Amino acid sequence: MNNGIRNPIVKIVFYAILILWGLSVLYPLLWTLLDALKNNDQFFRHAPWSLPDFPLLWSNFSYVWNKYNFDSYFMNSIIITTGSTLLGLLLAATTAYVLARYKFMGSGALYLLYIASMMVPFILALIPLFFLMNSFHLINTKIGLILVYTSSVLAFGIFVLVGFFRSLPKELEEASIMDGASYFGTFFRVMLPLSQPGLITVAIVNVLNIWNEYIVGTILVNDPTQYTLPVEIGVMQAEMQYRTEWGPLFAALFFTIVPVLLVYIIFQRKIASGITAGAVK
Amino acid sequence: MEAGSAKWQRNLFIASFIIPTFAFFCIFTIYPVAKGLYYSMFDWSGMSQTKSFIGLDNFKEMFKDPIVWRAIGNDYFLVVGKIIGIMVIATFFAVALTRFNFKMAGFFRSIFFIPNVISVVVIGVLWNFIYNPQIGFLNAFLSLFTDEKVTITWLGFTNHTIWMLLPPAIWAGIGFYMILLIAAIQNIPASYYEAAELEGATQWRQFRSITVPLIWEQMKVSILNIMMTTLNGSFVIVWIMTEGGPDNSTQVMGSYLYQMAFRQYHFGFGAAIGVLILMLSLITTVVLQRLLRHETVELS
Amino acid sequence: MMNKKKYAAMSAAVLLASVSLAGCGSSNDNASNNASTNAANNGSTNATNDGGTNAGSTNAGTNAGTNAGTTDTPKLTGDFEVQYFVGGYGDKWWTKVIADFQAANPDLHVKALGGPKINEQNKPRWIGGNPPDFVYIDGPELNDRQMVEDGQLEDLTDWIKDAKNVDGDKILDMLAQQPQQFDGKIYNIPLVLNSWGIFWNKALFKEKGWQEPQDFQQFLDVSDKIKAAGTTPFIHTGKYPYYINGAFLYPAIVSANNGDYTVLQDMAANKVEAFESEAVKTALGKIVTLRDKGFIDKASIQINHTDSQMLFLQNKDAFIPNGLWLPNEMSKDIPQGFDFGFIPSITQDAGQKIVANTSTATVAIAKNAKNKDAAHAFLQFVFSKAQASQWAELSGAPSNIKGDISASNAPSFVKDAAKYLTDPNTIVIPTITFNADVDKAMQDATDALTIGKIDPAGWVKRVTDVVKKVAK
Repeated sequence: MNNGIRNPIVKIVFYAILILWGLSVLYPLLWTLLDALKNNDQFFRHAPWSLPDFPLLWSNFSYVWNKYNFDSYFMNSIIITTGSTLLGLLLAATTAYVLARYKFMGSGALYLLYIASMMVPFILALIPLFFLMNSFHLINTKIGLILVYTSSVLAFGIFVLVGFFRSLPKELEEASIMDGASYFGTFFRVMLPLSQPGLITVAIVNVLNIWNEYIVGTILVNDPTQYTLPVEIGVMQAEMQYRTEWGPLFAALFFTIVPVLLVYIIFQRKIASGITAGAVK
Repeated sequence: MEAGSAKWQRNLFIASFIIPTFAFFCIFTIYPVAKGLYYSMFDWSGMSQTKSFIGLDNFKEMFKDPIVWRAIGNDYFLVVGKIIGIMVIATFFAVALTRFNFKMAGFFRSIFFIPNVISVVVIGVLWNFIYNPQIGFLNAFLSLFTDEKVTITWLGFTNHTIWMLLPPAIWAGIGFYMILLIAAIQNIPASYYEAAELEGATQWRQFRSITVPLIWEQMKVSILNIMMTTLNGSFVIVWIMTEGGPDNSTQVMGSYLYQMAFRQYHFGFGAAIGVLILMLSLITTVVLQRLLRHETVELS
Repeated sequence: MMNKKKYAAMSAAVLLASVSLAGCGSSNDNASNNASTNAANNGSTNATNDGGTNAGSTNAGTNAGTNAGTTDTPKLTGDFEVQYFVGGYGDKWWTKVIADFQAANPDLHVKALGGPKINEQNKPRWIGGNPPDFVYIDGPELNDRQMVEDGQLEDLTDWIKDAKNVDGDKILDMLAQQPQQFDGKIYNIPLVLNSWGIFWNKALFKEKGWQEPQDFQQFLDVSDKIKAAGTTPFIHTGKYPYYINGAFLYPAIVSANNGDYTVLQDMAANKVEAFESEAVKTALGKIVTLRDKGFIDKASIQINHTDSQMLFLQNKDAFIPNGLWLPNEMSKDIPQGFDFGFIPSITQDAGQKIVANTSTATVAIAKNAKNKDAAHAFLQFVFSKAQASQWAELSGAPSNIKGDISASNAPSFVKDAAKYLTDPNTIVIPTITFNADVDKAMQDATDALTIGKIDPAGWVKRVTDVVKKVAK
């Protein structure tokens, strides 16, 4: 195996760089938490890195949670994120598998169409999308957001999963077909389990994107009971501009970071191996 | 009949896996996007119920607008800056965390991904505080080393303010590409390095002649992905931090699209910028693929 | 189809006969008065709608149905949606007035659509021809000039001429600022009267012995002193340059034009000569003076309103151009002992009149409103003494209703400011809405001017280029 760096000075320099970068990504989290415990006055009187004064303003958290119905936004966000991630996975995986394994007329063009759609600025679609959803009576509904989000993550899923399926050895399927399994059986019982790392990659990236999405949410949902977390954060941020409640704003930001962070920590091993598997054809 | 039925079964299978997804995609993505792009041929405020067809006038107008050209310049500045910044740093981290036997490599790998987890809204708010001239982190930090308080307006230079948007964009982008490259490096058979080791090749030499050629495919994917996401996604960070200002100095195509379509009531013009973004993305993809192609080394 | 026609005919008849659709709580003779104006109005809109929407007729139909049995009590029924942006003024007043209106009209289902993002959120409904009935035009992404051009607002010209509020007072007579006219027509009624101006902290000035300025020379003199004392004299909101334009540049243009504000109106009408006038150059020169003397806080260019206002409240900067909503917006962060000083303009020469550049936030009825009767009634309800007088108290800013604000519970600086607006020695500029492109060009150019990127001639060149394009 490799022996790593021999020169101790180089090694120290490399360590220093790693640690500095590590601080630069960890500090914002700490900073968000600390600032959530401050009042406005402290923002101005003290250096930005100073610790909050005592008593710590934990009340900022309860203030935000209660005043802004965060529990219901949490539920909305969880339902919508879960729903569209699962549906998106199913739709992307099926198509990706066929595109990776079967040639048919137009299959190349179809693949290119999916890829090209990743280059279009999606905000252009906002207004037509609103009318579409309106005619389906899906404005202000969770189903509506789930459908739109599902569709918006398809291209990325197909992009990654086509690569992934291509990397799997063909022998497995051939053996399965030989054993008399149907195409569907082969896919669901053999290929899908094998592609778990790729699916997890796509799922994680999609969860992150959907959990944090707010532009589409703002347009398609204007009933406050149906807001998702980021939509509410967007609204809060707009409100804070006129009320300057920085402490509560940071408390709210903290609420949105924590769940994704937990998901990340729990799944981080799988994410790493998933991205690996997905990327290496 | 056997063969025919098998064929039929195969086609049924293909159809049932392709059509639902495609139908879904057509309804909720292709249709609204195409319709949005179609508006580029209309003079429409984005508010009124009437729109008038004006053919390509929005495009003619667009190419005469100096801000569009500045936005294109800024976009490509970000593309180049991000590609260089992200690729250099991400590759460095990927190599350092796989090849150098560092302790806690796993820990670093985990935390480096964190910015990718955080919402871009948070990133924007955060960096605005860093750059704030009066209460910001950067000036406070620099003031530690000077007699006088430093009051640089980081986002208010007459020119080149776009440079200031590069650090947040790079900072936020590293994690994902780093993990992608780590994965690629881990797939390289250890025997390659052992052989090089026996020949007495230095780490740098190993990096040059083994690592880079063998992860080139992933680097290519990364570069293309950075380019695409920058051209149609950089507007979010721009909008949160500067709204394209001051005096349009940080305008990118996406932010100008937003400004024109939703703030200045020229939705048709905004849609034309959308078409421009799509075209430039496609052209740049083709060009980049050509540029990067001949260096590809297949893993044998 | 048949049904609708029948309803329409029936409703027209009923309307013309006697049934009043006006707000509850009005006395009888008012009610009949209103009924006739309403009827006339409904008729005309139905005619112009030529079948595109049948909102008016279906609604009238429902009204006819419910009102058929009753004779005297006017009743508003159905849904009624009010869209209001929540910004610096907060939403206390809106919540209250909507609750009161609901209480007065129990059969009406009033739906409040309020919030800081409501303009974006409801935009598709406006495009789709399904807007809320009543709209408060304020905040980003809503521009009255644009809404009029887009045909989104109900023409109120005839209705407002002799419309009376629920107390029986003629609405137009009560307004401090008359409605803006677009090609001679009225679409929106100003509800909130704001004045731009320059703020400072009286307490700080007293402590330091600085003179509160009354004209441009005094302003420059005291700024010299302030600067010498180590405080930055002037901070503005560079991220949103309409603050410095509204509070500094436009009054300066009027002052330089000998107090004649038609130059601004000509600018709003996209007349190139107005932008090239000497007055504009002189006014821009005053910004250059501030810049060259180093009075402008360098942080200004990149910061937003809350940041600039915070710095001002911390006494880091002596003057800030802003609007009257400032004290309410920042109420939580005003330090002990901070005492707002305010003057609508600081760019006049000694002996010249003060210029107050007002900006009003207006209310209007959607052209495609489904419940225009309720919308008209709501207008009459809102512009009553009882409701309007609460605006100052609940929002901390003057409403657009004439009257003795000093008797109200409004904060003292609001009363001070209101004095300027009624003083005969003040030139009050009525609200002017510029074309959105021209407005943006002026904002960008002013920013560029404050950081020395361009000179006044460059400002004029840039803006006139845009004006020429827009006027085409």
